[in-house]
Amino acid sequence: MSGRGQVKIVDEHDPEISPERLIERFGRDFFRDFDIDDPNLNEHFHEVIDLMVQKCPVAHSKVGSGYHVFSTEDAVRKIGQDWQTFSSAKGYIPNRPDDQPLMIPVEQDPPNHTSWRRVLNPHMSPQVMDAIRADVAREVNLLIDKFIDRSECEFISEMAGLLPGRAFFIYVLGVPVDDLPELVHDVDKSLFGPLDTRTKYHKKVYDYLEDFMKKRQAMPPQGDIVDTILKGVTYKDGEAAPWDHQVSVVLDLTYGGISTTIYALGSIARHLADHPEQRQQLLDHPEWIENSVEEFVRAYSPVVAMGRTCMKDTQVDGIDLKEGDYVMLGFSGAGRDPRTIANPKELNFAEPTIHHATFGVGPHRCIGSHLARMELAVFITEWLKRIPHFQVKPGTEPVYETGFLRAMSSLYLEWK
Amino acid sequence: MQLKVDEMLCSGHGRCAKFAPAVFSLDEAGFNTAVGRVVDVPPGEEDNATKAMKACPERAISDAGQ
Ligand code: HEM
Ligand code: HEM
Ligand code: SF4
Repeated sequence: MSGRGQVKIVDEHDPEISPERLIERFGRDFFRDFDIDDPNLNEHFHEVIDLMVQKCPVAHSKVGSGYHVFSTEDAVRKIGQDWQTFSSAKGYIPNRPDDQPLMIPVEQDPPNHTSWRRVLNPHMSPQVMDAIRADVAREVNLLIDKFIDRSECEFISEMAGLLPGRAFFIYVLGVPVDDLPELVHDVDKSLFGPLDTRTKYHKKVYDYLEDFMKKRQAMPPQGDIVDTILKGVTYKDGEAAPWDHQVSVVLDLTYGGISTTIYALGSIARHLADHPEQRQQLLDHPEWIENSVEEFVRAYSPVVAMGRTCMKDTQVDGIDLKEGDYVMLGFSGAGRDPRTIANPKELNFAEPTIHHATFGVGPHRCIGSHLARMELAVFITEWLKRIPHFQVKPGTEPVYETGFLRAMSSLYLEWK
Repeated sequence: MQLKVDEMLCSGHGRCAKFAPAVFSLDEAGFNTAVGRVVDVPPGEEDNATKAMKACPERAISDAGQ
């Protein structure tokens, strides 16, 4: 039997997941006809994701040439680790247009991928991120200074949307501070602005970063990640990685970290606003803050799903896959998999051994994971010191967007 | 208690050293320094080592006794 169109349903006779019932409840049968861009997914996000991981661990999408979505933590880990069978080099999203250049390292396989990761990893290690903790704490406080006396803020545009860009551009890339406001604005527009102007802003960011690299090339080395990227790597054919790959690495680091961290910050703020008892736990036990970060990203995964292309016929979770088939690693579901986590919908800050795949698994494990973890923990610590009690502003509703990434575009908070 | 760390699976999440700093350390790139080896867990560190084993997102750490 061909893998095309196959789904894995735990109990075919379960009335809760019959096509009719799913369409009635969610406006679409997301199991047999998944579509990551359907606004109904955004609307019913956690309901669909939770039901899917429990009852339909392998869903199928008919969009474009079609793809499967694997949601269990076990399947996500197996696919992510087996890079020989599941290649990243044909794109991290399905139905990718052929004319777009590949992004490095996310759309590259070992051994060339390994060459890059080997030289980049030391700049992004937990030890390096520990060293900029106090700087990031100062950034958080500078942002809070601007709105604390107003007793309210729009959290995404005044905090979450600014912190990841500032932390990355100042302390990792070392971009001149004067250029920041425009750069952070342009990155934001290229990701969340009106659709018809995204390409324009993306090009602007690309041009800025390429120009920045050229300027750095003319300057004495500083021993930072930019010098490492400029020095480059040698690929398996003996050739040096070309200039456009070097620029791509800088873009990948930039774009991989911005919207993901914005969403993580937004979900944390919303969860703590809505759950005073859990806020109190962190106020009483600041030593749980690091664990809480793992729980937040597990339950609210910023990456809904990313993909791989099968390089040979294979089978995963009982589904036959053919060479060329596209599969998605469903990170959002994997973090809420009852097979791995006892009460996946609850956040348990006291439990230290949280096992999750939110930062990816296998060789593409998020290179920014240690920066993100540090930023999130520092944010919670500094925010709770100054604004221990806050709520979602009555009369407002947080606004979400969903695609391959889950995003939050507004969150009004207020405090006394 | 003896644990082994799978060299092919470790991808540098660094959770192991967070939970069991007396058992595991990270190299310059943030990977477990004991990859490909068996580690003797010092007495009293069994709990932390078990936490590290459970939290490793790659399930790269396993009981060498089994
Ligand atoms: C909470 C925040 C974040 C989450 C949830 C997250 C999630 C992920 C995931 C799931 C992957 C794996 C992609 C795959 O398997 O194909 C990944 C890769 C990546 N992330 Fe992150 N990320 C976050 C923050 C960051 C930050 C702050 C940076 C940069 C400073 C970053 C840069 C990257 C890069 C460059 C890759 C590609 C790595 C490779 O392919 O080798 N991410 N991220
Ligand atoms: C060279 C590296 C990268 C570049 C230049 C880049 C650029 C972009 C741009 C411009 C968009 C917006 C497209 C649009 O909606 O019109 C986008 C979307 C996206 N980026 Fe990247 N990105 C890069 C790396 C990454 C990495 C490492 C991750 C994973 C953590 C990632 C995850 C995503 C996802 C999932 C979307 C789709 C968002 C959606 O459809 O809602 N990107 N990227
Ligand atoms: S937690 Fe696992 S993958 Fe991460 S460094 Fe330790 S052994 Fe390696």
